[in-house]
Amino acid sequence: MEEVDNILIHALRQVGTEVGEDIDSVKQFSSELIVEAVVRCVRVIEPSLGSVLPTSLPPGMSARFRVGMSLAQACQDIGYKGEIGYQTFLYSNEPEIRSLLMFLVEKLPREHAEASDQPTGKSVVLQRAIAAAIKAQLAVTWLPSNCRLPLHGETQVNSLELHFDCFHVQPLSLPQCTQGLGKKQLKEMKDYQRDILPPVTAQPSHHASVVASILEQHTAELSAAQEWDIEWNSQGLLSRLTPQEYRCRKQTRLHKRIVEQLRSAVLPSPESAFGGPSSTSDLSELLQAFRCTAPSDHILTKGTHFTHTQKFTFTQVRSTMPKYDSAERNCPCRKKSDIQLRQQEELTSVQQQFQQLCTGTMSSRSTIAQCTCVLVQVLDELKQRELGNCEKEERMQVKKKTINLLPDADNNLLKLQALVESSAKRVVNLASQWEKHRAPLIDEHRRLKEICSNQELESSRKLSEIKSLHDKIRVSTEEAKKKEDVYKQLVTELENLPQDASRSAYTQRILEIVSNIKKQKEEITKILSDTKELQKEINSLTGKLDRTFAVTDELVFKDAKRDESVRKSYKYLAALHENCNQLIQTIEDTGTILREIRDLEEQIETENGNKTVANLERILDDYRAIRQENSALAAKVREG
Amino acid sequence: MELSESVQRGLQSLADPSAFDQSCFQVLVDVSFRSLLSSRGDPGVLDQPELKRLDQIMLKQSHTAATTFILEAVKQSADKSTISSCLEELTFSAERIEIFYSTYQKHKTELDRLLASIGRCPPRVNDVSWRLQYHMKNSQVDKVNEPVYLISLDTENEGSSEDVNFTCTMEQLQDLVGKLKDAAKSVEKASQM
Repeated sequence: MEEVDNILIHALRQVGTEVGEDIDSVKQFSSELIVEAVVRCVRVIEPSLGSVLPTSLPPGMSARFRVGMSLAQACQDIGYKGEIGYQTFLYSNEPEIRSLLMFLVEKLPREHAEASDQPTGKSVVLQRAIAAAIKAQLAVTWLPSNCRLPLHGETQVNSLELHFDCFHVQPLSLPQCTQGLGKKQLKEMKDYQRDILPPVTAQPSHHASVVASILEQHTAELSAAQEWDIEWNSQGLLSRLTPQEYRCRKQTRLHKRIVEQLRSAVLPSPESAFGGPSSTSDLSELLQAFRCTAPSDHILTKGTHFTHTQKFTFTQVRSTMPKYDSAERNCPCRKKSDIQLRQQEELTSVQQQFQQLCTGTMSSRSTIAQCTCVLVQVLDELKQRELGNCEKEERMQVKKKTINLLPDADNNLLKLQALVESSAKRVVNLASQWEKHRAPLIDEHRRLKEICSNQELESSRKLSEIKSLHDKIRVSTEEAKKKEDVYKQLVTELENLPQDASRSAYTQRILEIVSNIKKQKEEITKILSDTKELQKEINSLTGKLDRTFAVTDELVFKDAKRDESVRKSYKYLAALHENCNQLIQTIEDTGTILREIRDLEEQIETENGNKTVANLERILDDYRAIRQENSALAAKVREG
Repeated sequence: MELSESVQRGLQSLADPSAFDQSCFQVLVDVSFRSLLSSRGDPGVLDQPELKRLDQIMLKQSHTAATTFILEAVKQSADKSTISSCLEELTFSAERIEIFYSTYQKHKTELDRLLASIGRCPPRVNDVSWRLQYHMKNSQVDKVNEPVYLISLDTENEGSSEDVNFTCTMEQLQDLVGKLKDAAKSVEKASQM
């Protein structure tokens, strides 16, 4: 029982009960200590139940009784199955208290076991850190604002002293951005970076954004690198290109897509692009067309040739127009009606002239258009005629030759046949030669093709290998990271764990107990086997006795019919047998009585352990106290 | 702690004894911390006599890398083991790690404050005053008989205090109190991870 008590006391001290140094067993627990221990345990197990219970016994007897009742109720609510009531706490007896405390200590939440079951990872570590921070902040007592001192932690102070800046980011120019990519830097660039570029901390215009800018820059670089990694591993490797080629291809692809997008955006309104470029094939042209559609002209900040000409025409028109305006405005100031009349006349005549000219130009335009049409038609016809001419000339020549050959027809026929034959032979010859050359070439071609396909197979195999390797690398790095995290977490947990010095002592004791139990078990089995043997012996002896008795009984009975003395001996035999049976019975009875005596002794001991007499005396005292209280109350009532 | 390639390169050159000797290293570490903590960006922060003879481009690179590393370490509130393992990977010698860490330790609280000052903070309630009014009747209704709470929250933000005034009925006040209790409970729950 000593070990159990030690463990119980240790657990109770951990919960917060002040168990004195000199107390080392449950027997020495006073009622106050018991109540405090139980209340503290209940508070840890079920905070809502325990918060209403007081940790110390009140002086009044009836209040004590009530506390005992509520404690018993709380224990039953938690799930204690044993017998429990106010008497358990007020008039304690050792075994009951021990079993109750054991139950409560077992019910105490085991944080370590739960913690090790939880999933691990970066987020868990972070969440724990957050939880710890919140806990620390909650533990800080609140102070009115004018009582706060800097040592009261940052959370309450900083709002007074610090002013908050928004997370404002400015782009930074870093000297290493252009380096390391294998590109040759411009000398001017280098000079600039060496002599003029300020350090990063001096670059942002507002000093408050330095930190934000640096952090943002770093995060952007990291995420870009990650993105590239992911893309390269998923798509880049399969394309069988070097990273640079892959980048180039992606760039051209994106370029094309942008062009298409812009084209589709521009095409629906080609007239609004005012006589815009008819051939929208080039991106720069497209972009210009796109810009032209925009209402404001000052978007055109970059001066290309195109925009310059446009600007030029625009400004010309605009600058000439006001001149006319001003001229016309100045006139009426000097001479009024006269000039107006003349102007009117002039205007009408000019208008007429203008109209005439307009009609003239219109008609001449239409005639020009007609003429160009006719011209095109005529040119077409001419071409066709020329083509026809050529054909006809060829035909004529062939006919001329045949006519020339006609006079010596037979000879010429033979000649022609010979010619045809020789050319046929030549064709056959050439064909055979071609075949001769072709066969090895085809073989070669096939061979090369095979090699090619083999290589392709090999390369795809290697590619898949590389991919699987990449996957493996990624998986193992992730695993390593995860394991590192777990390791860190476990280390912190280990640090957080209460330094249990008595742990080894406990294990040793447990081992001792186990070995003791083993020894006891061996002894018990030995005794058991002994008993069994004895039982067997007894059984065999009784069997033997029964049999011998039966045989003798029969023999003697047979003789007893004839002989008187034998009859006597038979009687003796029967008497002997009966007496022996009685003797055995008596021995057995003695055994049972001894056992009963032992049981009773044990019971007496336990009863003695229950401190019944003392408890009874205390109950009597308490009873008297309650009566006194009651009579005092009654007296008060009467007085009142 | 993850570091980008450029930062790693800058730190590696900082770790290289042939590029930065011991005194240069010490000066640059000091300068990096100082440039982060000084209240205004000084363009001449790298104009130290010890750093004059170094390649200025490399010096700027290393300075950028060092400031970035410092900020990342403070952001994650890195402890000694994290920092030293990280710097060891970047071929820093033990002596240099010690120098860096001692300087880091010296400036950590200031840097913590610097980082904490980024962002915004909701106003903080410092005090509450209230008044209970009884609404008996008005021009439309003869008997209203409802209590009305007038509540004034004394809040404080960035050192300046401000009052938030509102009226509410009993139910609304109960709702508010319930919400506040919920919030307190949530915070408590969050602290018991």
